[in-house]
Amino acid sequence: MNCGEFERVLPEFLEGSHTPEQQSHFESCSACANLLADLELISSEARLLLASDEPRPAVWDALESRLRDEGLIRLPQFVTSKESVSRRWRAAWLVPVAAALAIVAGVKLFHPAGAGDPAPIAKQHVSNPTVAAVKPVSHEDQVLLNTVAARVPAQRARYRADLDSANSFIQDAEQSIKDDPNDIYTQQMLINAYAQKQMLYDLAVDRSEQ
Amino acid sequence: MTGARRAQGDKLTEAEAIERAKQGDGEAFKALYDLHKRRVYSLCLRMTGNTASAEDLTQEAFLQLFRKISTFRGESAFSTWLHRMAVNVVLMQLRKKGLPIVPLDDALEGDEEGQVKKEPGAPDERLAGSIDRLHLQRAVDELPPGYRTIFVLHDVEGYEHNEIADLVGCSIGNSKSQLHKARIKLRELLRMNRAEKAGKR
Repeated sequence: MNCGEFERVLPEFLEGSHTPEQQSHFESCSACANLLADLELISSEARLLLASDEPRPAVWDALESRLRDEGLIRLPQFVTSKESVSRRWRAAWLVPVAAALAIVAGVKLFHPAGAGDPAPIAKQHVSNPTVAAVKPVSHEDQVLLNTVAARVPAQRARYRADLDSANSFIQDAEQSIKDDPNDIYTQQMLINAYAQKQMLYDLAVDRSEQ
Repeated sequence: MTGARRAQGDKLTEAEAIERAKQGDGEAFKALYDLHKRRVYSLCLRMTGNTASAEDLTQEAFLQLFRKISTFRGESAFSTWLHRMAVNVVLMQLRKKGLPIVPLDDALEGDEEGQVKKEPGAPDERLAGSIDRLHLQRAVDELPPGYRTIFVLHDVEGYEHNEIADLVGCSIGNSKSQLHKARIKLRELLRMNRAEKAGKR
């Protein structure tokens, strides 16, 4: 057996399958022995490359943003009274609630009143005394409510409840920022809350113009 | 990897993080990302040889994972599930770019590409007892894409030839053949690198 023939059977030889003739060539040929040793070394050292590099922090930032955009990240609905609640944690609930607000508002507004049965949701909000009955209405919000005044009662109640919720988010976030002006996370939450409120206005106007 | 693997320091096991991620917990997503980011990113980097592409693909692999995490039932290891998904994301990207997943060199069988090159009178030295990681990394980056794919999947990631054949759509024999040629090519690149270094001294 010559070196060329041995090289052709090297893959099998490396896997442990070989004939006496191949073994004899391997033992007598230093070039082929060196080649085999190098290939085994390369193969074993390759594991050094496993998990050897780390992505930049920006990769997670971009991923997190997409997860939020797709609604995959949701935060817990409530925190028990026994848990200590950090300022950051208090602000964090703005994200899912604001997102839910936008989704619910969108679904309700873009579906005709006769489609499905809006009554259960409407009842929940109309019967919530902490929302509609107590909170004062700013001039801007009154404009929005006037815009939807001609809608069916369930939709009007929905708008009112969502508007009050958005205002609550904003109020809470603004208070958190007063406590800690450098809290970038809460600043982002405030921006998101304003964006959700803007979306409510846009939906009301768009729907009125149709 | 076991379900008891710790995520977020001592706060959360991997199994707990998976369950919380299914509920949409952002901290659990981050914990899972932190546990696996190096392996996934390194895989993407090795297979593309490009940091920008590797970052995009890492993001895409995790995004796909988190979209489907509610379907994870734990029949296989989470890491196995994730890494296979990452491999598929990379392979799909390579296909989109028109890069060869499997070298189109069956016609080169018997060609010098896969053979040991010997020059009469040239010293036939072995590589030293170990290979510097950076040199190996650079040599892998220089491999033609098709060779690189097979080499990374087999020798770095530890996939078997039958799994590689399934992933990339080639025969088991082809996978073995390409792996051998990739190792031969790497040896050549590493020896060239060593010769260049010796020449500078």
